[in-house]
Amino acid sequence: MDTLFLMNSLWVMVSAVLVILMIGGFILLETGSTRMKNAGHIAGKTILTFGISSIVFWAVGYGLIFGEGNPLIGLSDFFYSGYDVEGLALSGSVFFLFQLAFAGISLTIAFGGFAERAKLGAYLVFAVLFSLIVYPPIAHWIWGGGWLAEHGKQDFAGSTVVHLTGAMAALAATLILKPRIGKYNKDGSANNLAGHNQVFTALSVLILWVGWFGFNAGSTVSVDGAFFGFVALNTNLAAGAGVIAAMIISWIVMGKADVPTMLNGALAGLVAITASCAFVDTWAAVLIGFISGFLVFYSIRFFESKGIDDPIAALSVHGTAGIWGTLSTGFFATPELATVGQPGLFYGGGLHQLGVQALGVVSSGAFAFIVSFILLTIMKRVMNGLRVTEEEEIIGLDMSEHGSYGYPEMMKTEKTVISSEPKLNA
Amino acid sequence: MNSYLEIRRFRDDQIIWVSRNHLQLNQLHDEIITRVIHVSVKQMEERYGPLPCPFTFFMMGSAGRFEQSVWSDQDHGIIFQQQGTRIQTYFLVLGKEISQGLQLAGYDYCDGGVMASNPLWCKSQSEWEKQLVHWAIDSTWESIRQLLIFIDGRTLYGEVGYLENLKKGVYQTIHNENLLKKVLNNTLHLKKAIGVLGQLLVETHGPHTGSINIKEKALFPYVNAVRLLAIKGNIHETSTLSRLERLPENELPLIKKELYKNHFLKLLNLRLSLSKPDNYENSHYLAIASLSKRQKEEVKEILKNGAALYRYIRNLVEKEGN
Repeated sequence: MDTLFLMNSLWVMVSAVLVILMIGGFILLETGSTRMKNAGHIAGKTILTFGISSIVFWAVGYGLIFGEGNPLIGLSDFFYSGYDVEGLALSGSVFFLFQLAFAGISLTIAFGGFAERAKLGAYLVFAVLFSLIVYPPIAHWIWGGGWLAEHGKQDFAGSTVVHLTGAMAALAATLILKPRIGKYNKDGSANNLAGHNQVFTALSVLILWVGWFGFNAGSTVSVDGAFFGFVALNTNLAAGAGVIAAMIISWIVMGKADVPTMLNGALAGLVAITASCAFVDTWAAVLIGFISGFLVFYSIRFFESKGIDDPIAALSVHGTAGIWGTLSTGFFATPELATVGQPGLFYGGGLHQLGVQALGVVSSGAFAFIVSFILLTIMKRVMNGLRVTEEEEIIGLDMSEHGSYGYPEMMKTEKTVISSEPKLNA
Repeated sequence: MNSYLEIRRFRDDQIIWVSRNHLQLNQLHDEIITRVIHVSVKQMEERYGPLPCPFTFFMMGSAGRFEQSVWSDQDHGIIFQQQGTRIQTYFLVLGKEISQGLQLAGYDYCDGGVMASNPLWCKSQSEWEKQLVHWAIDSTWESIRQLLIFIDGRTLYGEVGYLENLKKGVYQTIHNENLLKKVLNNTLHLKKAIGVLGQLLVETHGPHTGSINIKEKALFPYVNAVRLLAIKGNIHETSTLSRLERLPENELPLIKKELYKNHFLKLLNLRLSLSKPDNYENSHYLAIASLSKRQKEEVKEILKNGAALYRYIRNLVEKEGN
């Protein structure tokens, strides 16, 4: 067998494993950023919905994205059986797994907008619908030879396809679900429903950071020229710049190095560089990451001030940074690296590529938002509401949706300690 | 006035007239608290017989410093003359009676338990002496903090002189044991109030969004810094203004003294005139959006000078190598 074929397969298999491990990162991210009473539920449902996404992707999703069809959708290769694909220099099964992992990540991001208040049933139904109707069309348009691919849209590893799509579904969900109990006061001011474990959140960022080498560098789907190394280099630089920028802006505006802000800065850098990691120089990767660290800080404040409750900052980290990352190649793509599309504005490419990128963002973002909004509205009607009852929300979804707490010892009622009273005889 | 609720009514009637005047407001607080103590003592004597020995009741915290806002929580202690099990129990029950009375009269319980109902703050003269020496020698963060609370004590009822004597001892121990630096470290943490761009750092979440906590960010720097200077200069007064007034030229140059006095007085008045004191918690917050441009500048000046005073004192203590 051809050595390159084997090497490619091996590299992409390793990458697929890294990307699937990112699901673990998201478990820690989402539980760490939310309250104890929902921790077991959040961890458990993430595994469950990844399972659902896997099966749907196998049955239909893969075919809708990569099958033969038209510029809007693919229509063959359903129930994929493991065959190799003609013209693909790696194992078909490995390629399939790698793509399956991406679909799972996008769905997991979307569920950030459901956190701490949606019924388990809503997760199950939306997992199926998102994996059928929301993700595949956009992935087909950009990666499956659809109409945006024909325009030369640059989205190397999925700032738009994976992150923006997930974030737009999350936005639709937060708007329909409304804020969590206690998030906003009567005068409209927001409370900080602080996450229960910053260590989890920080570890999640590390796991995601490492997983992103699979996500971005693996998206070369080839070891040819060891180009994956350069992609990984850019990825790491953007994450580093993102965390530094977020710390600086937090210090300037709030007078403190806020930990959640710093962590979101690293993630924003990773999301932003996802589109551009293979098309830009290292200095541009640093700049792209740095700007995303600023953006995520202001984006989080913006959504909060608009009464949109986004418990794990999915809208800002994946949405705002995803948009910026996609547009960034329109500025920074170099002539040597722009193997898809054209060089960016700063390299004499004019506004052409920026226009293509903007078209991709608007059309994909609008599609993901509108379709998700319609689906969730229908679900809300059919399922008699998407949200748990007030009582269930207060006792926590661990108990209401699964019957046991993720932290059983911590959730026992605390006994009130009554101090001994001095007694005096008259 | 024979009941706490009557005193409460008296408070509610009177306080509105003085709520914008720092001096009169604190005189009224003293009067209300003294009335509560009278009622408590009377009730104790009716229930359990006459007081077993002379005692003194003193206030600490903002009441001790004569710096209460409209709402305030209670911090107080008792020193009684002689040691004895029954005597101690009697005064603990009195302390509890007073705490409950104060609560009914409009003063929240102290979260930290600094109340005469707590054996830690209700002792005979000799036991107090032992405890204070122990706190000083121990010099843990917690025990130094307790010493500092004690140093703000001001006698409100009973024997004059008990508290003074104890304070003299405390000051002596602090100087003899070179504890000034420890004392400094205890209150060194200064909450950042102004950002690098010169903007006021307001609360970003919760019911006080857009406000600054003037208790923590503005009052505390002045109070803590001046308390330290007072300890250094052996000044027994408790109010920040009178402490400043008493400081000798070599501790704080006259020109600076006047500057800080003016700013602190301005701060006290600003707090009374601008915060919305519908309860204890709210009286600590100043809504920045409601301030005029001039008032905002005033607040910034106060905050900047508080921080400057803090730096001055840190340098002073560190230079002495205490």
